[in-house]
Amino acid sequence: MHSFGYRLNALLTLGVTTLALMCAMASFSDNFNHPSPSANVQVMNVNWFQKQSSGNDEVSLTLKISADLQSTFTWNTKQVFAFLAAEYETPGNSLNQISLWDSIIPSKERAKFTIHTKNKYRLIDQGSNLRGKEFNLTLHWHVMPKTGKMFADKIVMTGYRLPVDYR
Amino acid sequence: MDWQGQKLSEQLMQIMLVAVAVAAYVTGFMIESFRIMMLIYAGGVVLIALITVQNWPLFNRHPLKWLEPSVADEYSKEPPQQQAAAASSGKKKSTKK
Repeated sequence: MHSFGYRLNALLTLGVTTLALMCAMASFSDNFNHPSPSANVQVMNVNWFQKQSSGNDEVSLTLKISADLQSTFTWNTKQVFAFLAAEYETPGNSLNQISLWDSIIPSKERAKFTIHTKNKYRLIDQGSNLRGKEFNLTLHWHVMPKTGKMFADKIVMTGYRLPVDYR
Repeated sequence: MDWQGQKLSEQLMQIMLVAVAVAAYVTGFMIESFRIMMLIYAGGVVLIALITVQNWPLFNRHPLKWLEPSVADEYSKEPPQQQAAAASSGKKKSTKK
């Protein structure tokens, strides 16, 4: 501690190191949060269902998505990124996952919601396998922290089926 | 600062910083506000800087005792490394006396 600059440097270095430790502890405290989320999705309407000129099936859906992700928020949460994926199996692919809708939830208050929406992203198959196809709708979410580890989880909802014929 | 002051300043800085960090973390955790934790910590660091980095009088309570100038002169001829330098300065001193 021989000079003003020496002391200032020592304080700032120890200060930043301690700050890093505090952030690590804040991230660690997220492990003690046990969320109890819920979700429900209804397919309100199959708007249209066509085979495109590329030969691939495409379907447009109107969805009613309701979810409660409030319990995933902690003091160390910056935002929760949620997306809804359609999942199904085809002869060519053991798993097809297609994101239909997503949203950034910036606060706990906005984490409980119900929305009616057309699918935000297009549901296009690799091929022509969608007629009569049984599929799952899975709500995935990523809890993005202010510092540290990101937690991801999902709720799988089964029992959806596409029409047998194009419309 | 004198040596004792430097030691006191360093110890004060380290203890206060840990205390501020613990206080900030516990407060932030309890009221579930990351922002409050950062604000308390930042404020604490500024306070510690004001107290320990600046050369306050309390850090100069044990000043070093330097020798008097006349006493220092008598000893300056003795060390052998300084004989070459003393040879030229010695000439000056002999003319002064």
